[in-house]
Amino acid sequence: MVKTDKSLLEAHIKGDTTAFAELVRRYGDSLLGYLTRMTGSREQAEDLFQETFKRVHEKADTFRGSRIKSWLFAIATNVAIDGSRRRSRLQVVSLNQGLDCADGKCEELGAVTVARNSCDPSQAVVRAEQKEQVRQALELLPTRQRATIVLAYYQQLSYAEVAKVMGCSIGTVKTQMYRALRALAQRLPDISENVI
Amino acid sequence: MKGHLTEQELIEYQFKLASDIRMGEIAGHLEDCARCREHLQKLQRKFAALDLLREDIKASEDLISRVVEQAGKPVQARIVRFRKPAWLSAAAAVLLVGSVLLISNLRKDKVESPEILKEPGSAAPVGEMRLERKVETLLTEDWETKVAMGTKPSLQVAKYSEGITKGLSDLETWGIAGDKISEQPPFAPASAIELVVLPRRDKVQLTIYNSADLTLVRERRNLTLKKGWNWLQFMWANTLIDPTSLSLEPLAQADKIDIQQLVFPARLRELGRWLIRSEVGGQVPFEITYFTSGLNWRAFYMGTLAEDEKTMQLQGYVRVGNNSGEDYEKAQTRLIVGKVHILDQIAELAKRRYAYNRPGIRLEDESGRATWDMKIANGVDIGYHFAGFAGDAFGELRRKEIRKEGLSEYFLYSIEGTETISDKWGKRLLSFEAEDIKVKSLYKYDEERWGQQALRFVAFANDEEHNLGQTPIPNGQVKIYSQADAEGYLSFVGGTSVKYIPVNEEVELNLGPARLVKVEPILMDFKTDNYVYDRKKNISGWDEIRTWKIKITNTRNLPIEIEITRGFGTAYWTMQANIPYEKYDATHARFEVNLEPRSKDTIDYTVTTYHGVREESLTRTEK
Repeated sequence: MVKTDKSLLEAHIKGDTTAFAELVRRYGDSLLGYLTRMTGSREQAEDLFQETFKRVHEKADTFRGSRIKSWLFAIATNVAIDGSRRRSRLQVVSLNQGLDCADGKCEELGAVTVARNSCDPSQAVVRAEQKEQVRQALELLPTRQRATIVLAYYQQLSYAEVAKVMGCSIGTVKTQMYRALRALAQRLPDISENVI
Repeated sequence: MKGHLTEQELIEYQFKLASDIRMGEIAGHLEDCARCREHLQKLQRKFAALDLLREDIKASEDLISRVVEQAGKPVQARIVRFRKPAWLSAAAAVLLVGSVLLISNLRKDKVESPEILKEPGSAAPVGEMRLERKVETLLTEDWETKVAMGTKPSLQVAKYSEGITKGLSDLETWGIAGDKISEQPPFAPASAIELVVLPRRDKVQLTIYNSADLTLVRERRNLTLKKGWNWLQFMWANTLIDPTSLSLEPLAQADKIDIQQLVFPARLRELGRWLIRSEVGGQVPFEITYFTSGLNWRAFYMGTLAEDEKTMQLQGYVRVGNNSGEDYEKAQTRLIVGKVHILDQIAELAKRRYAYNRPGIRLEDESGRATWDMKIANGVDIGYHFAGFAGDAFGELRRKEIRKEGLSEYFLYSIEGTETISDKWGKRLLSFEAEDIKVKSLYKYDEERWGQQALRFVAFANDEEHNLGQTPIPNGQVKIYSQADAEGYLSFVGGTSVKYIPVNEEVELNLGPARLVKVEPILMDFKTDNYVYDRKKNISGWDEIRTWKIKITNTRNLPIEIEITRGFGTAYWTMQANIPYEKYDATHARFEVNLEPRSKDTIDYTVTTYHGVREESLTRTEK
């Protein structure tokens, strides 16, 4: 029988460490995907990922609801926005850039990499460059617009769920979404079908 | 619906942003309008690029286990935020200040002296740690503002806790004994860096190499490290520091502190970060060394001739200039004389830790003042030894001494005590002073070199006989003055630049044209003789005979000695003169004449030069 999010959280509060692990596994991939697209960096995303679950752990007893997903993404959004503010103030970038290119991390940090087993290297290069352009287009969006489009488009949350995560009305979410899309339409690359 | 759909309407339709009614209207229009359908397809292709980032992202088991492990730790006491009235804030502030004062008074009885280094096991009580952290946080914010402005080059320590989200778990790992330090350095994103304002540099030593516009800077700073991984950030904006020369060494607990790497982050200019793995937490003295350009020094000298011009007083100065972009306060300054092979010998020089004597020995200088050396609390020598620093500390007016040491092919001058050398400022310091240096005042006349004028020279030797010879004399400008009258007024005699004068070497200072001594050569007679003809009756050899009169006038009140050099343009010559002469080289002869004050003299000589086959006749005659 699949345990509900709430029961897992309650078990965790009572000291059941496996319950928290199950929660992390249940939402880990989607949360990491969200944070990676928000930050454009796998390393930063992992840091924020840990910070998010740390806050979940610390604030577990304040959770009121049945599904943890919106609450989790709301915490992650706040963590990501805080991190973004601090980064913009300090203008600091990854120190590991260029040092550790394993697992495609360099790609996420801005470098264009080509898979070794790529059939057509030139096509792979073009595709990698286009991915980088998309990533940069997303990074140029204001944080709240970026959060909105990542939650709605990539994480496939409904606008109502996004509104819950962002702590605003559905109308505001749609406005943010439209503005983000309008900006992206100017910056996204034209991709030909044979590449995709 | 009239006309065509706008891009906004198409976007709202594609992403279901419009109301249901509006969505229906747009769908209806699209069924009928091929152009709008095409426009929509174009938009869809555009936004299809977003799917390039739709790859699956998996949280690794390692990441999940780290998160779960962190959750296993006890939950930190939560700070409950609430809106508070202003009077409550004031009351809380008073209470906080009172508590701090009370705690500090209580601790005064227990603590005899502050520890420089905290051992990992000696964790402070939680309340005290919180206060420390609060102060650090305030300083951090202050510093972050400065960083954003990018104004002042300085050092920062960026601190990490390990494992989960660095910044927030600092309090938990700070100074706690027994925690294992991860072997892998943590990733350092901006979000996780905490910056702490460091104290100013405690000591700084400058070794200025003029020959290469290079200065070796050695700074000592007390850095507050945390057990675990630390980032030390060094910024050199608006300075001339060579970042590739940066080096960092702990001066204490070296076996417990491992400096792993120096990273120059991409896209950030004029900034480097050291990754430090520390097994101890607390203040640790560090030495940071680097090279910078823009600091320079030059020597110059002032000589004062005695009235009889037989002795001279010589004062040597150095002027240290700073255009490096950085202020160096109370810097111990050392000057390198001579040309240094930068690649090899700077490294040797950098190993010289002690400028004067070995530390650990209490010394007294000539004036009886104690020199000072410094050791940190645990007895580890930090390698700085200052002679005469009291000159600054106690405001004495005693002139500072510049000490000199030989370093194989070059020479090290150390300025006594410390000097503050601000950016864009220069400072003149007395290097040496020597009295009663015997000098030879000499005039020279050589048309081929200086034209038809006599030049004045002052000659002496850098040896003990001339009250010098302690050190080489660096190259620099010399200005010579003479006593103008009995009241001590000086008149400028002349100036020149001197090259590096090694010990026991003689030097002649060219003071320029002599206005009071005149030399006037006059050609009295010229004739040719002793022609030799070959078989075809062509001239194959001859002699040229010139008779010269050289008038010398000394209008000075002092006797003078003058050297007159005459050149003949050939090595085949003979001469008859009314005074002795010296064959200076193959083509020149030299007369030395002493003249009494306000007197004249004349040299008469006849020189015969041999040309063509006559050169051979001279050779045979000489044989």
